[in-house]
Amino acid sequence: MAEKTLIMESNDGKKIEVPIDVASRSILIKNMIDDLPEGAFEEAIPISNVSENVLTKVIEWCTHHRSDPPSSGDDDDTRRKTTDIDEWDQKFMQVDQEMLFEIILAANYLDIKPLLDIGCKTVANMIKGKSPEEIRKTFNIQNDFTPEEEDQIRRENEWAEDR
Amino acid sequence: MAPRENIATSSHRRRPSVPFKSRPRTATVSALPTTPVSGLDHDVWNGLPLVDSGDDMEGPVLYDVKPFPEQTGRRRSAKSFSGLRHSVDGLRALGRRLSVTLRNKSSRTPNPPSQNESEIETLKLRNGQESGYDRPKSVPAFQGFAIPLPIPGNGSEPPILPNHMYSGAAARAAAAAQNEMARKVEQMKLTQDSESGIGIILQDRFDDSDAETDFVRVDPAVAFPTEIMANVLSFLDPESLMNSGLVSRAWSEQVSSQHVWRDVFRSHYGGRGYTGTGKQPAAGLGKQFFQQDWKHLYKIRRELENRWKEGKAAAVYLQGHTDSVYCVQFDEDKIITGSRDRTIRVWDAHYPWACRKIIGPAPGEIVNRGPLYDPEQQASGSSPLLTIRPPPACAAEIATIHEKPSDYHGASILCLQFDDEIMVTGSSDHTCIVWDIKNDYKPIRRLEGHTAGVLDVCFDHRYIVSCSKDNSICVWDRSSGLLAKKLLGHKGPVNAVQLRGDLIVSASGDGVAKLWNVTSGLCVKEFSSKDRGLACVEFSDDARSVLTGGNDRAIYQFDANTGQLVKKIKGHSGLVRSLHLDNVNRRIVSGSYDMSVKIFDAQAGELSVNLPGWTTSWMLSVKSDYRRIVATSQDSRAVIMDFGYGLDGVDLLES
Repeated sequence: MAEKTLIMESNDGKKIEVPIDVASRSILIKNMIDDLPEGAFEEAIPISNVSENVLTKVIEWCTHHRSDPPSSGDDDDTRRKTTDIDEWDQKFMQVDQEMLFEIILAANYLDIKPLLDIGCKTVANMIKGKSPEEIRKTFNIQNDFTPEEEDQIRRENEWAEDR
Repeated sequence: MAPRENIATSSHRRRPSVPFKSRPRTATVSALPTTPVSGLDHDVWNGLPLVDSGDDMEGPVLYDVKPFPEQTGRRRSAKSFSGLRHSVDGLRALGRRLSVTLRNKSSRTPNPPSQNESEIETLKLRNGQESGYDRPKSVPAFQGFAIPLPIPGNGSEPPILPNHMYSGAAARAAAAAQNEMARKVEQMKLTQDSESGIGIILQDRFDDSDAETDFVRVDPAVAFPTEIMANVLSFLDPESLMNSGLVSRAWSEQVSSQHVWRDVFRSHYGGRGYTGTGKQPAAGLGKQFFQQDWKHLYKIRRELENRWKEGKAAAVYLQGHTDSVYCVQFDEDKIITGSRDRTIRVWDAHYPWACRKIIGPAPGEIVNRGPLYDPEQQASGSSPLLTIRPPPACAAEIATIHEKPSDYHGASILCLQFDDEIMVTGSSDHTCIVWDIKNDYKPIRRLEGHTAGVLDVCFDHRYIVSCSKDNSICVWDRSSGLLAKKLLGHKGPVNAVQLRGDLIVSASGDGVAKLWNVTSGLCVKEFSSKDRGLACVEFSDDARSVLTGGNDRAIYQFDANTGQLVKKIKGHSGLVRSLHLDNVNRRIVSGSYDMSVKIFDAQAGELSVNLPGWTTSWMLSVKSDYRRIVATSQDSRAVIMDFGYGLDGVDLLES
């Protein structure tokens, strides 16, 4: 039996055929499917915020994770505890910074929480343990603080009590 | 390999203004094959002299001297990462990264230097010739995911990771990949810069040159809407979050979000969910309310942790018992102790630590007046910052409850545990009593079944487990008080029990610790030390490891699954009488007949703080939370070792 599919159209006009269960990893798409009658997907669904190469990556992720169990509630504290990213995802995230950021934005737009979290964790791990100057270098950020402002923040970060 | 070399060389050519001497690099390359680089794919990476981290090893040491001290560490970590990846994948990934980046760059950067333009074309061509490293545009993307994509979706070849034991390794590796890309660009610059051969700080000069490199960097605070940036930041640890606030104004604004601070603070100091018995020790995470200043809480907590590390605590002595204090448990509101004087005392956990209640015989009936040591006599050792001895109130002034002998224990109180509803005590009178904490400590029932003193007790929502000098363990139904099981097998008195889910771990004077299944009532594992008596036992929250202490003066850590001895922690010079494992803060607190309380790092198993001689006799029981240790002694006192004493704002950490 042929797999049920739908067509997603990237913002640069590329049409991609995707099995329903893969596309349903996106809550945005899933809600759309749930709301619309059967057979309403003859036409491509425009994914207006996402370009073809990013969409392809996102679909690649959804395909790999198509049979994942639905996320078990939003226990925020426990979710944050796990800084672990599984091996496949880790490899998946080995892309340049721009692609990484676009995947995160696409995951946010398409409402794919696990992918968004993996992306955010990857970025967080790029920040962890670095000095402010190292963080600036990592992301090519200009230090726009006046020395006084910088001093002020440093002082705030210190403990007031004598040590 | 050949095209790669070309890429490397050609990217040098892009900077004709930078004097390029080939000598050091050539030397490095030729030297490399004989270098024992410990990486799985070093032969592949050797083909990439420019980006190979091997450069650093062979390369002039002066690269790593003072001007860039922090570089050394980062390179090393990145290098170890390059060793993880599958060789072919690594090569392909690099090819793909380069091509993607260049493609993006050519389309996005409005006016790239024309010199680079031709460079990009060449690279594209080469990548094309190597066929399929980059996804062919003409193929419908749908096929692209049906067939495993070359990189990084090459699922059939798992990456080789160095160590699967540590969770988060993959995450770190992913970040390392990202960091490495940045580093490569960095390194290209550094390598070239360093060829000037002098040790001056060159960093600043190149801050603006980043745009010229083929690695596109994006400021996440600009690229992301606030909520995504907040999500990123809330995965950080508090120190990294502090540093993030110093990056730029935009970052500072993001970091100032109390929502982010709340997540970071609570996940950093919060546990994974308590699985222990009795009441969960206070976590010190503060109250959750609107406009709570989480960053402030973090600073207080950080200071408190420093005091733990330095062993800076005040001593508050709880005086009133008239004989050895055998057991204690506390929460943020109260401290409950049980003594050989047959009474249970409830103390206020706050200044002035008054004794609120005495549960047991009326004062006049106390007969077991045991040794009372001179409280002024302090043994030597690292002493309290400050010693506080609230005067013992006259026992007659304190509300004593239960004057009928059937309502209290007829002998020493040896053990106790409480939660929000009940307290269970065990006594030398062979029985346990279940008390109603919510109803002014009224006795609910007595558990009778042991034929000798009850040495330890613990309970969860289903069972009450008690162990005795009669060599047995009794499992009682919590709600009915009926004896559900009797576990037999120990050949000596059972000194301690712990319960986690369906597992009970027990330690006996016969020198053996046993793991039991509650449902079957069978012993499923034995942890035997030398044939010396065990006095105490602790179960980790994840039920994976078991700690025992005893006559051996050492603390043993066993793997609960395999029964193997994992660690032997030495330090005490007397019998280890009591253990408390704080899973969240990774501390093992132990009390010993050598009169000291010691704190060990639960992961490394190393002694972190020694608190000797805070009492004048044997330490009998120790418990701890985020802020303090409460230890009880044979000298009839309990001592609060308060690491938060006088710390400004420490009360804000209470929940």
